Amino acid sequence: MLWKRQIPILIVTVIGFLTLFGWFTDQPQIKSFVDDDATQWFDILASFAIFLGGFNLLKLQTQKILRKQEGWEYSIFAVAGIFFALVAGFIIKGNPDVAWGTHVSAKGTVFKWMFTYMVAPMQATMFALLAFYVASASYRAFRIRNFEATLLLVSGIIIMLGRVPLGSAISSWFCLYLFVLFSGILINSFFKNKQYTAIFVIGGIVLVTVSGMFMGWPVDKPGVFYLPYLQEWIYKYPNVAGARSIMIGIGLGIFSTSIRYVLGIEKSYIGE
Amino acid sequence: MMKDKNFLYGSIGFIFSFLVYWFLGHPYFITERFLMFVAIVGFGGILIFYTRMAQRGEDIFLRTIPGLKAVEEAVGRSTEMGKPVLFVPGIQDMDQVETVAGVIVLGHVSKMTARYETPLNVPVSRAIVMKAAREACKESYLVEGRPDMFHEDMVHYVTDEQFAYAAGVNGIMVREKPAACIYMGKFYAESLILAETGNSIGAIQIAGTASQAQIPFFVTACDYTLIGEEFFAASAYLSGKPELVGGVKGQDMIKLTIIVILIVSLFLRLAFDLNLVNINILDILST
Repeated sequence: MLWKRQIPILIVTVIGFLTLFGWFTDQPQIKSFVDDDATQWFDILASFAIFLGGFNLLKLQTQKILRKQEGWEYSIFAVAGIFFALVAGFIIKGNPDVAWGTHVSAKGTVFKWMFTYMVAPMQATMFALLAFYVASASYRAFRIRNFEATLLLVSGIIIMLGRVPLGSAISSWFCLYLFVLFSGILINSFFKNKQYTAIFVIGGIVLVTVSGMFMGWPVDKPGVFYLPYLQEWIYKYPNVAGARSIMIGIGLGIFSTSIRYVLGIEKSYIGE
Repeated sequence: MMKDKNFLYGSIGFIFSFLVYWFLGHPYFITERFLMFVAIVGFGGILIFYTRMAQRGEDIFLRTIPGLKAVEEAVGRSTEMGKPVLFVPGIQDMDQVETVAGVIVLGHVSKMTARYETPLNVPVSRAIVMKAAREACKESYLVEGRPDMFHEDMVHYVTDEQFAYAAGVNGIMVREKPAACIYMGKFYAESLILAETGNSIGAIQIAGTASQAQIPFFVTACDYTLIGEEFFAASAYLSGKPELVGGVKGQDMIKLTIIVILIVSLFLRLAFDLNLVNINILDILST
């Protein structure tokens, strides 16, 4: 019990307090521990732990092949890949002029070849899939289902158009006409009266046209309907306000979780 | 009214000791970080106060978080369908608090899978996370009285590489077709790749992350998303332990304090700009 409960909590508490309050002191030993030693300890632990991970992967994939479980053919590639990487990393350099150690990044070595022609393209392929997933996810998000989804759709269109050259070519008067027409739809669905809608839409179009004629139809005025300005405003204010509120919540969550650990209130990590 | 006398005496003792240290010349203390120190001690004090309040048995209301309520529903669905639950604890190591929070949630999820006798699959991308997650699952299966159902390989290592990990997890999803996919931890660009694949196999998906840039992707592709602080409240919500629930209440009180500070600072800055006061709050807060 002592080894599995009290001692781990004590270690977390002592190291936690030391790291937390170490930030407020310039005492050399504590500073050196917080800034260098503690992180190096973690790196050393992680370096040893990679063997555990590697062996676990090898064990599971080999078992899968031996037992001919579903999809065992893929495991052959996994096991072969592990051995190929080990050989390229520790046994065959492929370029005698390059020293061991630097061979992982030097040109003309097997390891570098493996990285450039196998690892990098495969990673790029996975990353490229993201474009298609973004498209399918956007389709679902932008489908008009409720007020929030409509708001998202409208903001998304304004941001996308406002950030490309086409957006700056669209006159604010065009957007103003669109605004009048869409407002007409809203008025129609609210009052359900064709006369009101007609009066509003015709009145709005006349008002916009007269204002445009008086002002000389400048592309970027009134600014509130000019897409580049509008997208900048959305990006700078409502977006930043929302993001900051989430950030404050996240910061507080991290802080309170850390404090719960340091004080030994949260003990789920030892199974309590 | 301060009912907690021990907390009161402890606070007075701490403040008194710090004042003595301060007037003795505060050796080794970085004076420029004084305000941050006060904020951390103050906020820590609020958290301890509410934790102790909850421990004394005072009633604390915790609003329903749909994403967390859905966790049990998701495990139940997997049980009914006879399919596994897939838990992804992010792609970062245990030095990230989100990963730690993810492993804690895993502990609660594995209790449910043990209770319902549902298979659990936890692919991880860091070896240390693998060890920590295994311990969490092992303890949960023990607590639920089902150590026979636990096997070490339910938590298995895939790779440290971000997209290779995403490919590996996607492969597991497509082959095993889990009925529930739970993503709790720190994620980067692979979040949408994972969540969209989960969506395509028709799994119920619950995500929780503090990675701000990934939240929109999860919101779009998952059925439930724990946004920011909700994710860190998950442990308290799922365990229902008073000391943890008290911490969440304390967190809310800190948030309220911050809102008040923001509003007061706004008016002070406005007054400074109008030459009504000589104190520039931005100078004070930026120290």
